[in-house]
Amino acid sequence: MPDELLRLDGVRKYFGVRGAPWREGKAVRAVDGVDFVVRKGETVGLVGESGSGKSTLARVATRLLDPTAGTVAIGGADVTKVRGRKLRPVRRKIQLVFQDPQASLNPRQSVGTILTTPFRAQGVRPTRAQLVDLLRQVGLSGEHLERYPHEFSGGQRQRIGIARALSVQPELLICDEPVSALDVSVQAQVLNLLADLRDELGLSYVLVAHDLAVVRQVASRVAVMYLGTIVEEGPAAEVYSAPAHPYTKALLSAVPVPEPGAERDRIVLSGDVPTPIDPPSGCPFRTRCYKAEDVCATKRPVLEPVEGSTEHRAACYFPETPTL
Amino acid sequence: MPDLAWFVVRRLAAAILVMLALSLAVYLIFYALPADPAHLACGKPCTPDRLEQARHFMQLDQSTLQQYLNFLKGVFAGRTFGEGTAAVHCNAPCFGYSFPLARPVTTLIIERLPVTASIALGAAVLWLLIGVSLGVVAALNRGRLLDRLAVGFALVGVASPSFLVGLLAILVFGFWLNMVPVNGYVPFTESPVDWAWHLITPWLVLALIQAAAYIRLTRAQMLEELSLDHITTARAKGAGESRVVLRHGLRGALVPIVTLFGLDLGGLLGGAILTEKVFSMQGLGELLLSAVGQLDVAVVVGTTLFSAFLIILANLLVDIVHGALDPRVSHG
Amino acid sequence: MADRPVLEVHDLHVTFRTENGLVPAVDGIDFAVAPGRTLAIVGESGSGKSVSSAAVMGLLPANADVKGEVLLDGRELVGLPADELRAIRGNDIALVFQDALSALNPYYTVGWQVAEAYRLHHSVSKKEARRRAVELLDLVGIPGAARRAGNYPHEFSGGMRQRVVIAMALVNNPKVLIADEPTTALDVTVQAQIMRLLADVQAEFGTALVLISHDLGVVAETADDVLVMYAGRAAERGTVRDLFHRAAHPYSLGLLGAVPRVDVPPRPRLATIPGTPPSPGSITTGCPFQPRCAYAERVGERCVTERPELTPRPGEGDHEAACHLGRRPADA
Ligand SMILES: Nc1ncnc2c1ncn2[C@@H]1O[C@H](COP(=O)(O)OP(=O)(O)OP(=O)(O)O)[C@@H](O)[C@H]1O
Ligand SMILES: Nc1ncnc2c1ncn2[C@@H]1O[C@H](COP(=O)(O)OP(=O)(O)O)[C@@H](O)[C@H]1O
Ligand code: SF4
Ligand code: SF4
Ligand SMILES: [Mg+2]
Ligand SMILES: [Mg+2]
Repeated sequence: MPDELLRLDGVRKYFGVRGAPWREGKAVRAVDGVDFVVRKGETVGLVGESGSGKSTLARVATRLLDPTAGTVAIGGADVTKVRGRKLRPVRRKIQLVFQDPQASLNPRQSVGTILTTPFRAQGVRPTRAQLVDLLRQVGLSGEHLERYPHEFSGGQRQRIGIARALSVQPELLICDEPVSALDVSVQAQVLNLLADLRDELGLSYVLVAHDLAVVRQVASRVAVMYLGTIVEEGPAAEVYSAPAHPYTKALLSAVPVPEPGAERDRIVLSGDVPTPIDPPSGCPFRTRCYKAEDVCATKRPVLEPVEGSTEHRAACYFPETPTL
Repeated sequence: MPDLAWFVVRRLAAAILVMLALSLAVYLIFYALPADPAHLACGKPCTPDRLEQARHFMQLDQSTLQQYLNFLKGVFAGRTFGEGTAAVHCNAPCFGYSFPLARPVTTLIIERLPVTASIALGAAVLWLLIGVSLGVVAALNRGRLLDRLAVGFALVGVASPSFLVGLLAILVFGFWLNMVPVNGYVPFTESPVDWAWHLITPWLVLALIQAAAYIRLTRAQMLEELSLDHITTARAKGAGESRVVLRHGLRGALVPIVTLFGLDLGGLLGGAILTEKVFSMQGLGELLLSAVGQLDVAVVVGTTLFSAFLIILANLLVDIVHGALDPRVSHG
Repeated sequence: MADRPVLEVHDLHVTFRTENGLVPAVDGIDFAVAPGRTLAIVGESGSGKSVSSAAVMGLLPANADVKGEVLLDGRELVGLPADELRAIRGNDIALVFQDALSALNPYYTVGWQVAEAYRLHHSVSKKEARRRAVELLDLVGIPGAARRAGNYPHEFSGGMRQRVVIAMALVNNPKVLIADEPTTALDVTVQAQIMRLLADVQAEFGTALVLISHDLGVVAETADDVLVMYAGRAAERGTVRDLFHRAAHPYSLGLLGAVPRVDVPPRPRLATIPGTPPSPGSITTGCPFQPRCAYAERVGERCVTERPELTPRPGEGDHEAACHLGRRPADA
């Protein structure tokens, strides 16, 4: 399909872990069988709890990590095996914006140098006007070119990170927790900026976040991850208003809302996310699921369309049905 | 902990491989030297005949590889030089035979080890005490006079060559003040008091020099540890300062200190060359030094391998102790 | 508001002496919390929330100057001798930190750490302290507490660790619990568990809770009263309904508008507050919020020249705001 910017098929990523030197290494199944598509113009939110594999998936998608299994296609071309210099044109289409703006910018480089680097990697020399343009796009100005990262606030640094990603005119930005290190008032500025850039430049996004409210604000589609798998995905409006997977439902109900005395049916999950070294058999969520039955332990449920919808899919034997 | 046993076995196996490679390297290096050990043994006048005889006796007329294999065989099965009544036996584990000293190298090492061990262990205890306590004091008084003094002391210690400090100590305490004996070694079994009395100056000299690294390490580690959140937790619980510093702060700083200590000690046990030389003590270092002077290749190879073995052993122990000290490693 | 407050803070000032001069991190705040009630302190990072709580606990570093009153059951804590303060810390007032992993000492088992908190304030045997520790670990919902007490912090998940920290804080039945962003590092499902635990504890023991948070959702759900801080000062103070339904300070209003919500369809754009918070002490005259305030123009000169003090909102009980704008911003 021509409008598919990113397609992951059956992607797995296992990491070897080391304990004490006298212990056997085991594999962390950070991503354990994910199919994921981003089409042009979409903003896909990737949500899930810590350790569910969001960042790993983002890094596999940008080819910063090699998948253990599965394929990565960017702009319709399979790039799973592409390496080194040949990756340049691929990297150009799809850029990663990191969570911690402090850590992802080299403190010894001026903003000008930081913004020039991606051009260089593509073998181009940018003009000053180009750099100033970039800064303007993210709400900064030319006078900031000569400054260093520590002279900026967290929100401004995140803008610089975004400007750097935009410099190669990507079609898709993968933002890994772009606002989670920021204060609410600044977070709102950056979220609005992302929306503006989408409208102006026709960008598409994958927005990795653990904050479900942030994702609801900007995403057109969401995918919910649990223990390395996508357990539910669909149009944001549908998933948020009628979650089909018990995990999504519990997750949404756990988010506190800024409304004193708001009546909410909270599902407080017991226990913790199991370790991805040794995930449960069958449905990964079954150890905490309030609907689990014997069948859930047998075979992992696959994503299937939710009743009455084509785009909205959940991986559950007993999905919630929308109460209309 | 069967895991641990398995780890030790693996590490020891690896250590043996390293030792093999190392022994080969040492062998090749020393036998490639132009000096001919047989020359020394053949006496004067050294006729070509007698030289040839000596070479044959010392098994130097064989190929280098064959010699190395003989050496290896000696380690496991012992070896015999010459035949009949003139034969010299070197029992397993035979790490070579010193013809100039007319003793198996293994025996020499065993004889000399107590001297070196006495120097090293005593000094080690001292430098650990001095280094860690000064390091803690420096960290607690960061930026103040005590800190400056400790850091200055560490700087001097790091920069001083041990033989110079040793000679100075001998000069001042031995000759001028006539307080302590300046040389010689008395076995512990003979008289523990004399033993310690003879060793006190080398201990102090070594300790003062080595303590420097420990002051710096302890200070840095303590500053780091004391800035951590769990230190604030300890204070928030109502713990007193000394408890905060020792039970919570120093505990965390211990791992790198113990690591450094193990490696230093392992290295020193292989021979405190300069200290032994300066204080005229017949330890392993002195053995190696004089062997080099006399081109006694067998001793050089043997002691070098022994030191290497100690260092490998120290590394292994340090890894194990590290695991024992850091639950994040052992309870992974 | 039946009960007398157990903790009262009056006109608290904290100034740090740094290389770049004096940093007035907290510039005159007041709050009080009664038994069984929850006061939330909200504000963006750097607004002085953590410094305030550390000041109450007497846990500030040596370069901090504290002025003002901190009254615990009427007893002044500021300026108390170190050992008297130590007897109160962890006993009458306890602290729960944001990051439970770093708040726990990695080298000791969680059972030991909870027991230590108990033993610091009770002269009991180790065994008795251990029993109490297990009791508390059980209370905070750690399954198999007796067995898990022997585990190290890294062997727990984030949520379980935070339970351990809470157990440690509760072990002496404190009157006041200060929780500094206790769930910020946790996932929402775990956050829900922890907030429920805190509520249960409060209901059972009548603990007064000072909840420091920047998450307005958490605040709306748990707090009785709220203090909004901005640049080391109080911007607004009132009940939770005062803040969420009758926000009187433009900054509070801005914060509320900037929060995305999970329970309602998204707005086309989030409201934003332009600019960023000032660094402490950079705004010396007028209202610290003035450079970012959308209403400053309407008020005029006063916002630049005269520092607004907390003043009661007519007819709204204890609701106070520090703003020259007389009317509610929404109506202005
Ligand atoms: N380099 C690595 N080596 C070993 N394990 C790893 C590595 N990177 C990630 N993991 C593990 O893989 C799992 C998924 O990690 P990942 O960072 O993708 O999670 P995430 O969903 O982004 O979480 P968060 O919300 O905390 O950022 C975790 O269990 C993590 O510990
Ligand atoms: N030890 C210190 N020395 C100097 N300044 C400090 C110190 N600790 C905190 N500050 C400053 O005090 C202000 C308030 O910090 P803090 O209370 O931690 O904010 P928060 O509201 O995010 O908890 C910040 O500007 C911070 O930089
Ligand atoms: S498959 Fe079973 S265990 Fe998994 S989410 Fe559905 S009901 Fe729960
Ligand atoms: S005093 Fe003036 S500047 Fe400050 S918040 Fe009120 S209106 Fe805005
Ligand atoms: Mg991540
Ligand atoms: Mg804080």
